[in-house]
Amino acid sequence: MDLLFDSVASAFVLLMSFDRELIEIVLVSLNVSCFATIIASLVGIPGGFVVAYSSFPGKRLVLTCLNTLLALPTVVIGLLVYSFISRKGLFGSLDLLYTQKAIIIGQVILIVPVIMTLTIAAVSRIDDRYRTTALTLGASRIQMARVIFLEARYGVLAAVIAAFGRVIAEVGISMMLGGNAKGFTRTMTTAMALEYDKGEFVLAVALGITLMSLAFLINLLFHFFQGRTGNEAV
Amino acid sequence: MKLYKLENIKRIYGRRTVLDIADLEISAGKIYTLIGPNGAGKTSLLKILAFLDLPSKGRMHFTGQEVGRSEKSLHPFRKRVVLLDQSPIMFTGSVWSNIEFGLKVRGVAGAEKKRRIEEVLELVGLARFKDYNAQGLSGGETKRIALARALVLRPEVLLCDEPTANVDRENQEIILSIIEQINKEQKTSVIFSTHYLSQGNRLAHHSLMLQHGSLSDKANENIFRITVVGFEGDKALCQLTGQLLLRIPRAALPGETSFAKIHIKSGLLECGPGNGDRVDGNVVTGHITEMSQECGRVRLGINIGVNLFLTLPMDKYLREQPRIGGRVEVFIPDVAVGFSSFASSLPTA
Repeated sequence: MDLLFDSVASAFVLLMSFDRELIEIVLVSLNVSCFATIIASLVGIPGGFVVAYSSFPGKRLVLTCLNTLLALPTVVIGLLVYSFISRKGLFGSLDLLYTQKAIIIGQVILIVPVIMTLTIAAVSRIDDRYRTTALTLGASRIQMARVIFLEARYGVLAAVIAAFGRVIAEVGISMMLGGNAKGFTRTMTTAMALEYDKGEFVLAVALGITLMSLAFLINLLFHFFQGRTGNEAV
Repeated sequence: MKLYKLENIKRIYGRRTVLDIADLEISAGKIYTLIGPNGAGKTSLLKILAFLDLPSKGRMHFTGQEVGRSEKSLHPFRKRVVLLDQSPIMFTGSVWSNIEFGLKVRGVAGAEKKRRIEEVLELVGLARFKDYNAQGLSGGETKRIALARALVLRPEVLLCDEPTANVDRENQEIILSIIEQINKEQKTSVIFSTHYLSQGNRLAHHSLMLQHGSLSDKANENIFRITVVGFEGDKALCQLTGQLLLRIPRAALPGETSFAKIHIKSGLLECGPGNGDRVDGNVVTGHITEMSQECGRVRLGINIGVNLFLTLPMDKYLREQPRIGGRVEVFIPDVAVGFSSFASSLPTA
């Protein structure tokens, strides 16, 4: 237990001192995760809307596939993307391997199904009267989708937050496609894994505390906005 | 002018046919009621008339244009018709932003938008609610704001699914009087569904009775062909049968015609001796042929040469105690007689 207490105490000292290496790692993590979440949202949210509001043959199969992709291991994505961007891969000439872009590509693949399935769930929960009311008031399909989006905004926001939580905490893709290069592709999780291997727990614990604090802060903000908008008299 | 023309319309869900209408024509500028029990197909029909749902089979025309099946072709029709849901839902935002939604969609902006919203809020008597959170209103207020949201668009047709359901008596009166007012002043065609025959009798020019998804014969009740056989001062002598003549205000006739259809509103008829306060109208006598209870009222079928149906409030029924086979006097006030262009096949008098 002494090891844990000592590590936690030292980690707080490290955090309070705004250690440059620690800040660098946190910034790389945030940069990669934010970009991946934004790109995946741009794909996943409209994709979820389309699947939720369309009737087409094989829709159930698509939903089953999306649900299956939720369980996709990060190492499988790492291997798949690696096979495309390694020197001998189809996109090898783009020199993407061991860059932040490579991590972002892998993370986008990881969370697009998360955002899509949760958006589908959020949109499907919206009362159908919103759709019929918008249509009977003369809205086009796009205007109707805006109404639904507005009503489902918390569910969609929750999908984005869940996706962000998934990418910021993943280690497989970052390690396999980023290579854990200090200052370039070293994220919080890969740094923690490395420090653990080295037997250096202080930085690992400090990064762990930072990671958890970030997750807590995001959830706090989400609940704050949700509560404020829900209670206010317009 | 014909507003809707439905031919062999069927709406089928799985193996269940919820709507099966062989032929229906609806005229513009009139108030129609759809009367029928739960599950009769009222909401399904209204959704089809609002172009929110497509019939599984059959053809529909709106103001002479055939209604297509693609989303793109339905959109222009939807802009001319508004359906008021039985339990209307408010979008997130203020009452004002809810009412302006349809105007924004149509590109109405600036002073015109403001004027129309203020006008319609005054009409429903909720002008002071304009900045309120729309999702925080009571049931009755929500219905009135939903009505305002629909009327601000000045639709050609207002479709209402049980507009007075789940609201108190005061709000019921307000909603019904607004419907009556917009029909009279703006000539907006109104089709509303209700469980209450009394509402139909009070407001509607025509009633459509739906049962098990089909138009019931009861919808044709009290609709007769008449022949104008002469005039007596300001009254037209309208022959209903060989022996039966009704004196109907000449001004009510639809132009210079010898033949017409009349619709006698069953809820406005009086049965038994009057109390001396009767105004213009006709008194006929006949035998009671059938009697049933319906929505808290008693429905009597009276043979006056043709079968005439009327509904009595329960208290009046208990007071008068009419019996099947009994001879009874029926007073048909002039206000109960309307000239009809009713769609379905008519009984020949």
